[in-house]
Amino acid sequence: MPEATAEIIEASTRAFTAEVHDGEEAPAFGSWVEVEQADTGHTLYGLVSHVEMGAREPGRQARAFGQSREELQRERPQVMALLRTIFRAQVLAYRTDPDDGGTIRQTLPPRLPSIHDFVRCCAPEAVRTLGAPYDFLRTLVQDPDPAVPTDDLLVAVLRQVRAAHGKAHGEERSEDALVEAGRALSRLLDDDHERLQSILRRVE
Amino acid sequence: MLDLHALSADLDAFGTYQAEAQARRRRRLADACAALDACADRWEAVRDAAAERGSTPLVAGLREAPDATYAAPGRPTPFTAVATDGSQIYPDRHVEPSCYLINTSRIAFQYGTLETPILEAEVDFEYEGCDLAEHSPGARAGRVSDEIVSALRDEQELRALLETSRRARRKGRPLVALADGTLIRWMIRGMDDRDLEDELIGRYAALLEDFRREGLPPASYVSMPGNAELINLLGVHLRMNGGEDDEDALAGLLDRWLFAETLAVGERSATFTSASRIQTRYAEADRICYFYTRVPAGSDSNDPGEIARVEVPQWVADDADLLNRAHGLIISECEKGGGYPMILSEAHEHAVIRAPEKERFYQMIERALRERGLPPMRRSRKDRSKRTPAV
Repeated sequence: MPEATAEIIEASTRAFTAEVHDGEEAPAFGSWVEVEQADTGHTLYGLVSHVEMGAREPGRQARAFGQSREELQRERPQVMALLRTIFRAQVLAYRTDPDDGGTIRQTLPPRLPSIHDFVRCCAPEAVRTLGAPYDFLRTLVQDPDPAVPTDDLLVAVLRQVRAAHGKAHGEERSEDALVEAGRALSRLLDDDHERLQSILRRVE
Repeated sequence: MLDLHALSADLDAFGTYQAEAQARRRRRLADACAALDACADRWEAVRDAAAERGSTPLVAGLREAPDATYAAPGRPTPFTAVATDGSQIYPDRHVEPSCYLINTSRIAFQYGTLETPILEAEVDFEYEGCDLAEHSPGARAGRVSDEIVSALRDEQELRALLETSRRARRKGRPLVALADGTLIRWMIRGMDDRDLEDELIGRYAALLEDFRREGLPPASYVSMPGNAELINLLGVHLRMNGGEDDEDALAGLLDRWLFAETLAVGERSATFTSASRIQTRYAEADRICYFYTRVPAGSDSNDPGEIARVEVPQWVADDADLLNRAHGLIISECEKGGGYPMILSEAHEHAVIRAPEKERFYQMIERALRERGLPPMRRSRKDRSKRTPAV
């Protein structure tokens, strides 16, 4: 199990916001993260749709000092310590308790994650289980987070699909997985070829 | 509600009054500058004359010529800077049960290194009176006054400064522990309770002694100091020459206005000793000396920077290296902090209790009482009416 990288500070059934732990890197835009739900035994999967860095305390604003990062650490050590990175993830799927079959369901979980739950980046094998029939793409396309450019998020998701399959099974399988996801997306976009082409071009 | 319309006529008169007062101040300041020049050559005689006159009003003690100035030494690197600050929620006499809270920050920066800074605050919630019961009938009866809470906060700030300095000190690396405000606890006098005052001063003196024994130099920073001890000394000098007619020649002037005339940015004045009587309880080596310095205002080149007062115990003032260290740190801090020491701003940010937090604190008390089935916190009618004014 990968180490926890972040902790939930805001939660709803649809999305959560997490603060990245000190010294950890923020997960990439469009990557999958997971949250284990102690009370239900479910593992929730969320797609990172927004990452933001800023002052930790409300009322304090970062300002430009004209110094390199290292100069800042040496002479204004509080500045880096007072910054934090937060990210928002759209909850798109969950896996039931392993004792209960451990089934992947590409839909919203019955219960929201809890504040202070830990968030981890998904390993490639977890990302591969979030594959066909790619129902989560429907949620992304039809109920997008209004603050996020949906197509860019789709590009990032498809790249993840390719990378996760490529790591285990080589080039050919990764292209197969990408084609399958592309087909699902094409149906969702009502054969809007131009939009689909624009997305696929950017996956290359 | 403020009737601004009614105020406008008074503001005219205020402007006229200020113009006169400032012209008068300029004349007196010129006299003070001349007196500073004149007494420099015979400062020992002036010092002795001041000593004969007793201690009211407070007169600066001279250790060297009072017109001496020193350029800012650079701050060495690496360097350990430590600071603390405190704030409090006083016992509210409109609220029962009585309780108070002190929040103390602890900050330490290892400048010139990539080591992790200390940025912490510690909260101390007191609801059983305080640990001064045996020294104060009031505290024994569960009544802790605002003055006691302030004194306890000052003590906690100094204790936190000592403890954080111990934690942050590194072998072979220079360190200065910076406090906010004065190290002279004159405000303790006036509690009208000699035993309590002695206990509080004794504890404070013991902490200062620990700093000295452990070789951790403290310094404190006073912004916009309202002292007139050097002005009073110059008054002594004028009276030595011109007799009692000059009694009021320098009336109303402050030391910082005088040094605004003489110090360039970064420079500090001579060091002086404080004659405050409260310090007789401090060990002799810990009695407070001070200097004035013109701190840089940061990037705003039109701002000449303010005159600050820096206080250090005598053992620090006696050691040229430690004194330079404190001076160099203050100047470098003010450069980075836009005219105020950056590390003290940080200490303030971590200690401050804002109004919504105070309100939340009272809500949490209410909840704690409710959970035990106790009657809710009693707020006086006056307090309630202020919170929810009716139309």
